[in-house]
Amino acid sequence: MKSHSPWGTAKNPVKFRIPTADNLVPIRLDIEIDGQRCRDAFIWNPSDPDSEIVVFAKRTVKDLKLPPAFVTQIAQSIQTQLSEFRSYEGQDMYTGEKVVPIKLDIRVNHTLIKDHFLWDLNNFESDPEEFAKTFCKDMGIEDPEVGPAIAIAIREQLYEIAVQNVTSIRESRINKKGRRGFEHIQASKASGNAVDLFKLFGNKSSVVRKRKEWDVYEPIVDLLSNEEVDALEAKEERNTR
Amino acid sequence: MDRSSQDLELYTIPSYSSWFSWNNIHEVERFSLREFFDGSSVTRSPRIYKEYRDFIISKYREDPSRKLTFTEVRKSLVGDISVLLKVFTFLEKWGLINFNVADNSEKNSYEGSARTASFGVEEEEDNWRGRVKVEEGAPYGVRVVAAPNSMKPIIAPPPPPSVAVDGGGFVGEVGESGFKWPPLASYSDVYGELMQQEKKKALVCGSCKENCDSAHYQYTKEGSFVLCEKCFKSGNYDKNKLADDFKYKDSANQAAAWTDAETLLLLESVLKHGDDWDLVAKNVQTKSKLECIAKLIELPFGDLMLGAGNRKSRYLDVIGDITNSRQSGLASNESQESVKAEDPGPEVKDKEQSRELTDTDQSPELKDNDNSAEHKDEDLSPELKDEDQQKGDAKNEGPPLKRLRTGPTSDVGNSLMKQVARISTMLGPHVTASAADAAVTALCYENQCSREIFDDDDNYVDSKASPETSDQRRVAEVDNSVEEEEPNQSEIQGISCVKSIIPQNLRTRAATATALGAAAANAKLLADQEEREIGQLVATMIEAQLTKLQRKLKYFDDLEQIMGKEHAQLEELEESLIAERINVLQRIFSAGITKPKEQTSTMHQTDVVQ
Repeated sequence: MKSHSPWGTAKNPVKFRIPTADNLVPIRLDIEIDGQRCRDAFIWNPSDPDSEIVVFAKRTVKDLKLPPAFVTQIAQSIQTQLSEFRSYEGQDMYTGEKVVPIKLDIRVNHTLIKDHFLWDLNNFESDPEEFAKTFCKDMGIEDPEVGPAIAIAIREQLYEIAVQNVTSIRESRINKKGRRGFEHIQASKASGNAVDLFKLFGNKSSVVRKRKEWDVYEPIVDLLSNEEVDALEAKEERNTR
Repeated sequence: MDRSSQDLELYTIPSYSSWFSWNNIHEVERFSLREFFDGSSVTRSPRIYKEYRDFIISKYREDPSRKLTFTEVRKSLVGDISVLLKVFTFLEKWGLINFNVADNSEKNSYEGSARTASFGVEEEEDNWRGRVKVEEGAPYGVRVVAAPNSMKPIIAPPPPPSVAVDGGGFVGEVGESGFKWPPLASYSDVYGELMQQEKKKALVCGSCKENCDSAHYQYTKEGSFVLCEKCFKSGNYDKNKLADDFKYKDSANQAAAWTDAETLLLLESVLKHGDDWDLVAKNVQTKSKLECIAKLIELPFGDLMLGAGNRKSRYLDVIGDITNSRQSGLASNESQESVKAEDPGPEVKDKEQSRELTDTDQSPELKDNDNSAEHKDEDLSPELKDEDQQKGDAKNEGPPLKRLRTGPTSDVGNSLMKQVARISTMLGPHVTASAADAAVTALCYENQCSREIFDDDDNYVDSKASPETSDQRRVAEVDNSVEEEEPNQSEIQGISCVKSIIPQNLRTRAATATALGAAAANAKLLADQEEREIGQLVATMIEAQLTKLQRKLKYFDDLEQIMGKEHAQLEELEESLIAERINVLQRIFSAGITKPKEQTSTMHQTDVVQ
C-alpha cells in the first residue's frame, strides 16, 4: 500500500488504479479461430511479470483442449489489455469523493442477475470477490461460475469508470489552460454517473431508503430454462452482428 | 429510547456484546469502523453509521429466529456497498445480529426453542446454554454424577421455573421462602399431609386405648368411637351405649367380600357415571363409596377408567394402597416367608380405616386442602395423645406395626420431609442411608457446594434436639427413630430441622432425591421379595406334584399286591380243581365203568380222522 490509509482522501488525488482492495485487472477473452470460440473472463494482477502470460495461455489451451493456435491469440489478447491498463497508470484519476452506482445485468449459464448498488471509488478496502461470494450465499446461488462472474462484472465497470475519470481529468486539465468557462461543465460531466452525495448523505436525508424503494433496489436472481437460455443466446448473437 | 428499553429485554445478545446501546456508539465500534469517525468523507459519518447499525439490528430483530442476509439489508440502505458489508459483518461478528441463528433448519429449530426459553436473560445465558438445559424434567439433584467438587463455594442454583400445581395452597405452605415446588414434586409430596392425616387416625379402642388390628366394633351412633373385640366381649364400655348399637366390622372379611357380580356392577356404574362416586356407590348398593373407589383402584386397569377429575382423592387412595401393600409386604417379608395374601392384616385394616375416616372427615379435610398448617394442627391436636400412645405400643411390637410408628410421626409442618422419613423407615436403614448419601453427593456436585454444609447439620440437629414446639419435637422424634437405626440418616432430617441454614431449595432437592432413591431401593426390595415368593410357590408346586406321584406309585404297589394275592388264590383254586378232578376220575376207575367211555372217545377220534 502506498498510503498509510486505505481510504482515498479529498486532499490526495488518487492515482489510476482499480478502486478496490486489490488492484486486479479484469481481462475478457473472446477469440474465435476456425469456428472454435474461446470466451473467458478472469482477473489479472498487473504487477505479475509478463512472462506469466504465455505460460497461462499455454496452460489454458491445454486444459480446454483447444488448438495450439489459440496460445498466441490468448497471450496477445491479455497482453493488449494489460498494456492498455498500464497506459493509465500514474495518472490522476479523480479528486474528492466519488460514489458511483454499479448496475449488474448479467447472465451466467442459467442464472440471470439484475442488481444495482453504490460503490465508493475512494474505498480501497472494497472487495468485489467478497461481495460476490456474500451475494451468492445470500441468494442461494449454487452455480460456482456466478460468483466470479459478478466480481468481474463489478471490476469491469469500475475499470471503465476509472478510465473515464482519468480521461476526463486529462481533458479538464487541457481545458484549464484555455477556456475556463468549460471547466464547470466538464467537471460535472466527468463526475458523470456519480451520485449526488450531499443529497443522499446530507443531514436532512436518511440513509435508510423508503420502504417502497426497497423492491427497486432488491437484487433479482432468475433461473432460466434451457429454452430461455437458447433464446437469449440467439438474441445476443444477433446483437453482436 | 422507548424501543430500546423494551427490546433489550426481549433479545439475546452474547455477553461480549454487552457494550451495545441504542443510544450511544461504543469505543469498539469507533475502533472497528474507523472510517465513519475520521471525518474523511461526507458519506461516512457517525450519524450515518448509527442509522446503518440501528436499521440492520432492528431488521434482524423483526424475526430473530431467521438469519438476516446482507443482500436483504442492502436494498434498504443507501451507501457504499463495501462499507455496508463491513458494518454488517461487524454486527454479525459481535452477535448483535444473527446470533444463534444457524443456516440449516435443523439447528434453527433447536436454537429457536432454546431462544424462547431464554428470552429475558441477556447474558450468561450463552454460557449456560449447551451445558444446562432449561429445567423441565428431573430436578438438579437427581442425576448420577461424579464426586462433588467440595472446594467450590456455594452457589444457590437459580430457582427452577415454577410449575402450576393443583391446590396451590400447599405450594405456598411448604415453600415459605418463595420456593415453588420443583416439577418432580409428586402428588404425594403435595398431598402427603392429607394422607398422613388419614393414617394418623389409626383405629384405637375407646376403652383400652390399644390398636384395633383386624376386627373391631364401631359405635354406630358416633362413628369415631370404636372398640376392640376384646373390650366389646368383656363389656368394657360405657353403660349408656347399647351393645346393639355397635356394629361389628371385620375388615378382613369386608375387604375380601367383593363378589364378581359386585365388581361387574361397579365397573358398569363407573363406566356410566364416571367420577360421580355417590351415584356409583348407589348403583353398587352393597358397598360404600370409598370401598368402590378402593376396589376400582385395586383393579389392574382402574386408573385408566378414572378421569382426571377425581384425581385428588383417587391419588390418596392409590398412595395409601401402595404404601400399605409395601408395608405389609415388608412385614411378611421380615416375619416369615409367606404369601402376601395370607397376611392381609395391616393392608386391609388400613383400607378400612381410611374408609371410615374419610366417611366422617372427608369434607373438612378436602376443604382444608389449601389451608395453612395451623388449621390442621387444630384438627390434629386431640389425636396427638393417641398417637403417642400408639407410638409407644408400636415400638414394642413387631414389624407389622411399623407403619403405625411412622404414620403418626408425620406432621403437617413439612410433608416432604415426612415422606422421606416415612419411606426411610419402611426400608432398611442402610438403604436409606446410602440413598441419602448419594442424593447429597449428587446435590453437592450439582450446586457446586461443599459437602460440609450437610455434614455440619448433624451437630446442629443434635444441639437442637429438644425444641419447644410440638411440631419440631415430633420431627426430632422422627430423627431419633431413624437415627437409632443409622446415624447417617440424620443428614436428611437435619435438613428438615435447620431451615435457616440450607436454602429451602436445596433441602427439598435433597429430600426429593433421597425419597426417590429410597423408593427405588424399596421397589428393588419388593421386586426381590416377589421373586422369592414366586420361587417359593414354584417349589411348593413341584413338591405337591412329587407327592402326587409318590402317592400314585404307592397305589400301584398296593394294586400289585392285591393282584398277586388274587393270582395266588386263582392258582390255589386251579390246584384244588385238578385235585377234585383226579379224585373224580379215581372214583370212576374204582367204579369200573371205564370201557364205554374209552370206546366213545376212540370212536370220536376216528370220526375226526375220517
